[in-house]
Amino acid sequence: MEAILKRTAQRVHESEDEKLLIEQAQNGDREAFEQLVRRHDRDILRLAFHMLGNREEAREVFQETFLKAYRSLGRFRFESSFYTWIYRIATNVSLDHLRKRQTLKEEISYESDTEMHPDRPALKDTLAATTYYSNPERRLYGKEVGQKIQDALKTLSEKERLVFELRHYQGLRLKMIGEIMGSTEETAKNYLFRATQKLRAYLTNV
Amino acid sequence: MNVNCKDYQHQITLLLYNELDERTRGELELHLRECGVCKDAFESERAMHSVLAEDTPSWDVPSDLLLESRKALADALDRMENKRSWWRMPAFSVVFTPMRLLESAALITMGLALGVYVSNQQARVAPPVALNSSANSQSPAIPRNGTISNLQVINADPSTGQVELAGEVSQPLRFHGKIEDDTVRQLLFSALRDANNPGSRLKAVEVLSQKPTDESIEEALINALVYDDDPGVRMRAVEGLKTFANEQHVRAAFMHTLQNDENAGIRIAAIDALLARNAKDPELAQKLTEATKKDDNPYIRTKVLQFVGSTK
Repeated sequence: MEAILKRTAQRVHESEDEKLLIEQAQNGDREAFEQLVRRHDRDILRLAFHMLGNREEAREVFQETFLKAYRSLGRFRFESSFYTWIYRIATNVSLDHLRKRQTLKEEISYESDTEMHPDRPALKDTLAATTYYSNPERRLYGKEVGQKIQDALKTLSEKERLVFELRHYQGLRLKMIGEIMGSTEETAKNYLFRATQKLRAYLTNV
Repeated sequence: MNVNCKDYQHQITLLLYNELDERTRGELELHLRECGVCKDAFESERAMHSVLAEDTPSWDVPSDLLLESRKALADALDRMENKRSWWRMPAFSVVFTPMRLLESAALITMGLALGVYVSNQQARVAPPVALNSSANSQSPAIPRNGTISNLQVINADPSTGQVELAGEVSQPLRFHGKIEDDTVRQLLFSALRDANNPGSRLKAVEVLSQKPTDESIEEALINALVYDDDPGVRMRAVEGLKTFANEQHVRAAFMHTLQNDENAGIRIAAIDALLARNAKDPELAQKLTEATKKDDNPYIRTKVLQFVGSTK
C-alpha cells in the first residue's frame, strides 16, 4: 500500500511539474519547452524510426513533430496529457510521411524507368534501399527472422501498423492509443486484433 | 469451435497484451482449458510473440540519431526564434560583437524587422540593430529617420569612458515589389508570423492568397490556417486554399480544421471547399464521417451525410 501511495504521489508530482513546464513554455520559455522535449523525444524518435524505417525521415518527423508542438503549444488546453498530445502530433506526421512516400511510389513508373535505363538499378530497388529494413544498420540485424517480420509488417494497413507499433513496440495502453488516434479504445482493439491476425498468418506461412 | 470462439480469439490478443480485466481474463482461461481450437489459436499467437521478441533488440534507435535529431531541432528552434526576434527583440546596443554586426547588417540590408509594408503603407517595425560607436566616428549609426525607445544604460565605466546602452530602434520601411519577388514574399511570411499584429497577418494572408499556386505560399497559408489564433486570418487562409482542396496537403489541413477549429464558420468554409473539389470520393466520405461525427454544427453534419450518400 505504501508503495502504491508513493508511486501515486510521484505521478502527481511529475504531472504538476509537467503542467508547470507547459505553462512556462506557453509563456515563451524556450528552456521549459526543451525540458518537455527531453522527456519525450526518445519515444517520439523511436516511433518515427520504426514507422518510417530510415534515419533521414525519422529525423524529419522528429523535427516536424516538435516544431508543430512548439508553434501550437499556446492552444494546448490540458484536455489530454501532454504525452498523448505529442504522440498524436507524431503519429499524424508519421502517417503523412508514409502517405507522401506512397504517393511518390505511385507516381513513379518502375517499368518505364527500367526499360529506358536497363543498366541502372530499378527505381523500386533504390526506393526499397532507403527503408529501415534494408539499410546497412538494419542489415546488421537483418537475419532471417528480422526480415520475415519486416515483410509481415508490410502486409498491415497504415492504421494496423500504427496501432501495432504503439502497442507492441512502444508499450502504450490501448486506451491511450485510442485517444492518440482521436478514436476509441474499441477501435484500437480491433486494429490490434487485425494486425496480429495478419502477422500470425504471415509468419506461420513463411 | 462454438459461436463464442471468435470472441474468445479476439480476447486472446488482448490477453497477451495484458489488456483484459480480471473477470474476462478468468473466463477466457477457463475456456482455453476446454476448447482445443482456441487453445491452438492461443499457442499460435504466443509463438508469434516469441518470434517478435527475438527481433525486439534490433528496434533500438541508434544513439547518434537521437543526438543528431536533438541538434537539428535546437537549430530549427533557434532559426524560428531569430525570425521572431526581428519583430520583438530590443537590440540597440553600442557593444560591438561580430555576430551582432552580422545580424544587423543582414537585417538592415534585407529591410527585415522593420515591419511589413503591404498596402496600407504604414511602417511598424522594431528591428534588432547592433551598433558600435568607435572613437573616430562622427556620429553613431542610428538611422536618420529612426526612433529610439526603452533606452537603458547597461554599463558605464568612468575610468575608460566606455558606456553600454540597450534599447529599441525602429524606422519606417517602404518596399515596392511584386509578390513573385523573394524579398516581398519573405516580408509577407514575416508578417504572417507577427504574433502582435493580427491586422498585418490578415493583410499578408490576403495578398498571399492571390498566388496560392506557389508551393511556399501554399505552405504559409496552410500554417496560417492551422496555427493562427485569429479567426479572420484562418478564414482568409481557407479562401486562399479552397481552389486546391483536392490536393493532399490542403485536404489534410482542411481535415485538421474540421476536427480542431473551434470556429464553426471556418469549419463550414472548410467543408464547403472540400466537398466542392472532391466529388464522389468514398475514402474522403469515410474520413469526413469520422472527423465530423461529434461536430455540434448541423450544417456540417448534413453536408457530410449528403456527400456520403452521393458516393454510394
